[in-house]
Amino acid sequence: MPRKKIYEGSVEYLQILDEKGNVDKELEPQLSNEDLDKMYRFMITTRTFDRKVLSLQRQGRAFTYAPVEGKEASQTGTAYALKKTDRVFPSYRDHGVYLTRGLSLKQMFLMWMGTEEGGRMPEDSGDFPFAIPIASQIPHAVGAAWAAKIQKQDKVCAVYFGDGATSEGDFHEGINFAGVNKAPVVLVCQNNKYAISVPRALQTAAETIAQKALAYGFEGIQVDGNDVLAVYSAMKSAVEKARKGEGPTLIECLTYRFGPHTTSDDPSKYRSKEEEEEWRKKDPVVRFQLYLRSKGIWNEEYEKKVNEEAKQKVEKALEEAESSIKIDPTDIFKYVYAEMPEPLREEMEYLKRIGEEKKEAHGEQNG
Amino acid sequence: MVFEFKFPDVGEGIHEGKIVKWLVKEGERVKADQPVAEVETDKAVVEVPCPKDGYLLKQYFKEGDVIKVGQIMFAVGEEEEKAREIDQSEEAPKKKPVSKRGKEEKSEKKEEKMEENSGSGGRVLATPATRKFAKDRGVDLSKVKGSGPGGRITIDDVKKYKEGKGAEEEVHPAAEVRGEAREEHVKDYGKVERVKASSLRKAVANRMIKSAYTAPQVTHMEEVDVTKLVEVRRKAKEEAEKRGVKLTYLPFIIKAAIGALKKFPQFNARYDAGNQEIVYRKYHNIGVAVDTEDGLIVPVIRNADRKDLIGLAKEITRLADEARKKKLKLEDMQGGTFTITNIGSIGGTYATPLLNYPEVAILGVMKIKERAVAVDGNVENRQILNLVLTFDHRVIDGAKAARFMNELSKRLEDPYLL
Repeated sequence: MPRKKIYEGSVEYLQILDEKGNVDKELEPQLSNEDLDKMYRFMITTRTFDRKVLSLQRQGRAFTYAPVEGKEASQTGTAYALKKTDRVFPSYRDHGVYLTRGLSLKQMFLMWMGTEEGGRMPEDSGDFPFAIPIASQIPHAVGAAWAAKIQKQDKVCAVYFGDGATSEGDFHEGINFAGVNKAPVVLVCQNNKYAISVPRALQTAAETIAQKALAYGFEGIQVDGNDVLAVYSAMKSAVEKARKGEGPTLIECLTYRFGPHTTSDDPSKYRSKEEEEEWRKKDPVVRFQLYLRSKGIWNEEYEKKVNEEAKQKVEKALEEAESSIKIDPTDIFKYVYAEMPEPLREEMEYLKRIGEEKKEAHGEQNG
Repeated sequence: MVFEFKFPDVGEGIHEGKIVKWLVKEGERVKADQPVAEVETDKAVVEVPCPKDGYLLKQYFKEGDVIKVGQIMFAVGEEEEKAREIDQSEEAPKKKPVSKRGKEEKSEKKEEKMEENSGSGGRVLATPATRKFAKDRGVDLSKVKGSGPGGRITIDDVKKYKEGKGAEEEVHPAAEVRGEAREEHVKDYGKVERVKASSLRKAVANRMIKSAYTAPQVTHMEEVDVTKLVEVRRKAKEEAEKRGVKLTYLPFIIKAAIGALKKFPQFNARYDAGNQEIVYRKYHNIGVAVDTEDGLIVPVIRNADRKDLIGLAKEITRLADEARKKKLKLEDMQGGTFTITNIGSIGGTYATPLLNYPEVAILGVMKIKERAVAVDGNVENRQILNLVLTFDHRVIDGAKAARFMNELSKRLEDPYLL
């Protein structure tokens, strides 16, 4: 009776640009100056938008919001490696993914101002509106990728989720199917160390999230999620592999959100100041600046210009969004069923009625 | 132009916050998106930014003050402009629409009074869990000193307060005041004892008021010869017992009632007075009134029309057990379309039940009694069941009720129709 080793797997870690700006020349992706400039602008626009919505929420002009600052490299780096005809399935913190995919800032604002319109993707886009339930988008993406494979369409699907999502059944069910069917999908896990407040160590006993892919029969890789070059390279080869019909890849981006989980979270209750400061030093935007400077693209003037342009675009889009905003409270009833079931219709009528009553009462108060 | 900034919901459904620190002084220049103050909410300390460029003309609250969502927090404008004076106690937005009924105004006044009494000058700070803990124990939070951050009251504070105070605080003062307010014209002419109504008692009271004062109700009564049914049930009972199921008459009556309801769907309807529509319900959830130690409750058998006799019997046993153990879930008590109340299990010849509003009919089942009845000129010994049906006269007329009862009787008299 033999007792022998029958499986051995390994997981690679990838970093190309370190915190000091040193580049691994062998691994350096071949990106044109134009590409680099675009990527940097996407990252800056993401950060500008992010800070703006946070400020709007605190002024009562936007609803609960999930800030993204700190994850710009993970998002722009992955989304930039996709073709326009590919599809993304983001979660609620992936503003950088949407912006890099070309979604308009105006629509991004409308999303966070609670309009139905904001959640409706443009006609020519195959991208999904973001998923709020944790990991629910993973089976969607795998299914869409599998469908594209069956229909022989040249479409790679990329799905975005966090470390917490990997504890959900949907993650395991989804990636199992991805492996079994060699679906053209890239699973992007942005591991920011906390699922709201639950630290990664309480999430899984595995050393990495990337290694979970091995159990499902495909490759997983861990990358420095604040190194846009590493993220882009890992994504690019995963997308190419998927496009060639060689199946899925799980990419674990090690990153950090600088801000709270959402506008109603207080991270000081579960993270230390020291840890936050440690990660600030790894700011993906600052690191990319060092690289762009070495390429002769970045200088103080360029920085000012890019920021100013981003700010103008964001302000202009905000103005457009706020002036076009129409919120009808009954919208919340309308878009789930093709035909509205009776109890839902009754609830809608009730809401309308109390709305009217409130208006009347308000009128009396003023008069 | 002077812009007045109203304190928004900076979290997710928060109602108020405490001003921890002003970051911009009155008269200072402020830019759009620049933080003006730090505010502490139930969840976190957040920075509140200014929406416009300008000068901070006025801070309407001091550091340490509690500000409610919707109150004007500060004013911004040009350097030479002046912000108005506002009495914030008047500006506070009312949560409920203004009511003309005295009762509610009174309770609102009472709340305001309690706020004044609390030492901090604002509403007490406590988490919902603490509030519930205090409410369950009849503790008035405004009298408790908080040891948490910003004077927040913790569960421990409530416990300590209660231990210190003893039994005299048992009665919830607010409830007592409300009770008196409603009863001010009632005098007692002798010794009385006041017992606080349980939450179930209060619920029953409210529902009965709603029923009695909304639907004009009429009760129709009938005698049904169930001699055959008694025989059938006796046999079926033995069979059921072998399978460990207790088979009463109720499943038979439910079956018969559903047959009649399907023939006369307006008895399974409700009246939407707002839209002046009759809402026919295409499902049959039968409520069964159960008498418990605390009072009446009505668990609901969902989709009773899809169950056989044994299935109904099992469900009745389960619901009655859980009702007595007080373990019924909310969904077990919601969504009824027609109710049956088994008054006969206790006694009586006839009764006039009140509708389980918004249902439009309720069937009262009396006791099966052996009676001497004239049958084809002979006096026979028959088993007679008295049934009563209360209906909502807005939806149903007496003739229809009689027809419904005839249908029901026919089914019970000949149990093979079931």
